[in-house]
Amino acid sequence: MIKIKAKDVDVFYGKKQALFNISLDIEENQVTALIGPSGCGKSTFLRCLNRMNDVIDICSVKGEILINDFNINDKSCDVVRLREKIGMVFQKPNPFPKTLYENVSYGPTIHGIAQSKQEMDEIVETSLKKAALWEEVKDRLHEPGTGLSGGQQQRLCIARAISVRPEVILMDEPCSALDPIATAQIEELIDELKKEHTIIIVTHSMAQAARVSQNTGFFHLGQLIEHGSTDKIFKNPDNKKTQDYITGRFG
Amino acid sequence: MSEAPHTVKSYEEELKNLNANIIKMGSACEEALGKAIQAITTRNSDFAEAVIQDDEKIDKYETLIEQQVVNLIALRQPMAIDLRETVTALKMSSDLERIGDLAKNISKRTLLLNEHLPKNLVDSLNRVSNGVQKQLKSTLDAYLERSASMAVNVWEGDEQIDDLTNLCMQEVIKYLKENEKNLEDGTHLLFVTKNVERIGDHATNAAEQIYYLVKGEYLEGDRPKGTEPIVTGEK
Repeated sequence: MIKIKAKDVDVFYGKKQALFNISLDIEENQVTALIGPSGCGKSTFLRCLNRMNDVIDICSVKGEILINDFNINDKSCDVVRLREKIGMVFQKPNPFPKTLYENVSYGPTIHGIAQSKQEMDEIVETSLKKAALWEEVKDRLHEPGTGLSGGQQQRLCIARAISVRPEVILMDEPCSALDPIATAQIEELIDELKKEHTIIIVTHSMAQAARVSQNTGFFHLGQLIEHGSTDKIFKNPDNKKTQDYITGRFG
Repeated sequence: MSEAPHTVKSYEEELKNLNANIIKMGSACEEALGKAIQAITTRNSDFAEAVIQDDEKIDKYETLIEQQVVNLIALRQPMAIDLRETVTALKMSSDLERIGDLAKNISKRTLLLNEHLPKNLVDSLNRVSNGVQKQLKSTLDAYLERSASMAVNVWEGDEQIDDLTNLCMQEVIKYLKENEKNLEDGTHLLFVTKNVERIGDHATNAAEQIYYLVKGEYLEGDRPKGTEPIVTGEK
């Protein structure tokens, strides 16, 4: 099942074109990894999927991005509602300077998801459990989120993202600031989360892309060079550029 | 290797080194097979002794290549063509090691054979051996050239080896039946013939692996087979 369908997407920062004619299908309940050298456009593409580029004045996006067959670039698209459905986790853990509880309840509150205090408690607990953080923090829910370790903070951000029950989760290098154990915990989490969510992850770690994803897209100089099953990309890619990049031959 | 060099030069060196060791090991096997055949067909004991002794060198290459492969996987995590290079080296080295062992076994039997073997048997054995030597050489050339088509030629050529082997076996069986005194030599010759044929099989295995190395996919279909091998004698 195709969850997201990008068709001929161009992105410009002012006059400079950052993405050229990107067409890419993202499968539902799968992890899609986007790889490529710095500045290749993978994060720009990721940010197109929840219209995060809107916040950059000089940025303009052309082409169609269909999520559940609805073009999110259409004027009728409610961006707040869109971002409820498409959550995001960033490179550096960025919990709000609030308590753990408030970090997770913030989204459900502004989107009016919980009807009662009890319901909110349930959402917070479920989200933290799904983010594999509950056992570690259940006795300190009213302490500041910023007091957690880096790995825990990142899982808190994942709990915050899933608290509004998004259909898609975008992850922009979610493990680049974490140690190997915290990284493994996030990767395990990604495996779990894909049962209920569609995940798109940008990563600089080829090994991580190979470990967590089922599909991989390789970007270079604003173009999608190759897209296919992760298995194929890492064993026998079709494109020479893809092979040169993943084997460390880029010159 | 026609690929662009790696950014990390030491990685590039390690892969080149692995490649070079496969070629050296392959050459050692070619030499062992050549000498083993020459020893049996020209009754040269010195050559036979040399093959027996040199097998240790081939075994050491296998150990060395295995260590290099394990190091590459553990420390470099090779991907795509590099991964296929690494896996191919590991698999080829074990086929080559078997070729070395079989050549050694032929030589051991050579030392036990009588001075005079019937000319028709020597000719027949020569025909199989020449074929197998060509197969092994082509396999190593295919590896060196990274040529899938050369690998396919080896793969297809295995059928002819099977046929030549069966002809040779039939002649040995005839020889066995002629006289009870032929029992010992004849039995050794049966094993020698089978060993030569097995060497051809290992060369074909390596060729299949080379095809995978180049193409990233496996050769489809069953290996071409010659007539069924003779097990119990003439019908």
